[in-house]
Amino acid sequence: MRRLLSCLPMAFACATAAAAPFAYITNQGSHDVSVIDLATQRVVATVPVGRSPAGVVASSAAGKVYVSNPDSKSISVIDMRTQAVVNTLPAGEGPVGIDASADGRWLLVADWYGQRLLAWDLHTPGRTPLVVPVGKAPAGVAAHDRLGVAFVAERDDDSVAVIDLATARVRSRVRVGTHPFALLHDAARQRIYALNVQSDDVSVVSVADLDNPRVVATLKVGKAPYGAALAAGGRLLYVTNQHDDTVSVIDADSWKPQRTLRGFGYPEGVAAFADQVYVVNWMDDNVSVLDAASGRALATIATGKNSRGFGAFIGAPLDVSPSPVR
Amino acid sequence: MQRRHLLLSLPALTLAGAASAHGPTRQKVTEKISINASADAVWARIRNFDALKDWHPAVAESPADKGNNEGSVRQLKLKGGGALTETLEAYDDTKKRYSYRAKDGGALPVTNYTSTISVAAEGSGSVVEWRGAFYRGYPNNDPPPDQNDEAAVKAVTGVYQAGLANLKKMAEAR
Repeated sequence: MRRLLSCLPMAFACATAAAAPFAYITNQGSHDVSVIDLATQRVVATVPVGRSPAGVVASSAAGKVYVSNPDSKSISVIDMRTQAVVNTLPAGEGPVGIDASADGRWLLVADWYGQRLLAWDLHTPGRTPLVVPVGKAPAGVAAHDRLGVAFVAERDDDSVAVIDLATARVRSRVRVGTHPFALLHDAARQRIYALNVQSDDVSVVSVADLDNPRVVATLKVGKAPYGAALAAGGRLLYVTNQHDDTVSVIDADSWKPQRTLRGFGYPEGVAAFADQVYVVNWMDDNVSVLDAASGRALATIATGKNSRGFGAFIGAPLDVSPSPVR
Repeated sequence: MQRRHLLLSLPALTLAGAASAHGPTRQKVTEKISINASADAVWARIRNFDALKDWHPAVAESPADKGNNEGSVRQLKLKGGGALTETLEAYDDTKKRYSYRAKDGGALPVTNYTSTISVAAEGSGSVVEWRGAFYRGYPNNDPPPDQNDEAAVKAVTGVYQAGLANLKKMAEAR
């Protein structure tokens, strides 16, 4: 989130004519990715990837989008300029959660069945990933903004692990709610939000001291919280509640609930750009566009089948050439 | 274990191991049926959480311990053998809709199963929508054929189609 807010305006400024940011929505039922041009809010490409794509991270710094395909045990790499798959990486037993560091160096993947974090150093292409054993059913991952540190939700252990990439080891661990699935890193506040799908709440974890992460608040949300994003300049925390068909909007400073938005269909992934929020509706096969400040629904964009968008799915290449996209 | 058609022939299926894990790919089924009867009349037939036995042809018994209150648990006994335990998660009489969650290990080859049934007006009649979300029965890679994604979708589709077809027949009967 932080990197989107800081990087994307730059991308706009240097390449307005060539590329607006895109949203990359993984469609687990149609085995492809819907690419939405946020300037026109239309699907401009549908990119076939591996089987049952779930996780996604659009790395503006790398100019690439990384998609986890749990059923083909691979990562598809999409070039943001051509909207085509340029590489496929073998990735453990069942890759799910995925993130990249803000500098585009580290690609982080949770291996659900392999019980480990896989970390590729993208600055040395071709090298095999670091392998870090973690707890049971690792799901969501988040990169720290600078320190070579990763966070992993250990869903079936009800914990979040802090991992040092330099030593490829778990540095510390914190117990959160029941079955944390998604994680969101809030760099400005030095926090991790862990979304607990079974206890229906969000654990706010202070990671100011990486050796001693601690839960500083537990925010009640709807049933089965699944995705989170910071919006409105980082002021508001949006959380999708899969089993309530709702989205909770929470003040990220006071932790006060602001509103509960209705009318979604098993909402899953969520990401924000500029003054809008994009919510992926798994049941309805579409994306809801919301006004970030008010939560008002602005538009609906049809996507592929069983859309997930699990991860930071919005990005734009930072080094766009003047040649037109596609 | 060849499963032929929905609940009628479903054997009791004991799912292996810790039920907390599940496969990586959630599946969904949505079935709709148009009925030539008012939404009020159709809802009256299905509105009670414990009324499933009155309209679903595969269900022999469906007592619920707290009626239509959230948290109410209904214990389904199936005519073909097998059982399911389902908890009411949301109930909205004005919107004619309720949602429930099944305990893992019941007579469907699924895990993490949640479902919503609703009735809406459509012209002079109504439309009933039954939708479910679930993972396959086998939580790990390389599932056996009777516990893979396709088996899960087929089983749930069968349950919904049979129930809705019978509901239509009952509601349209004179």
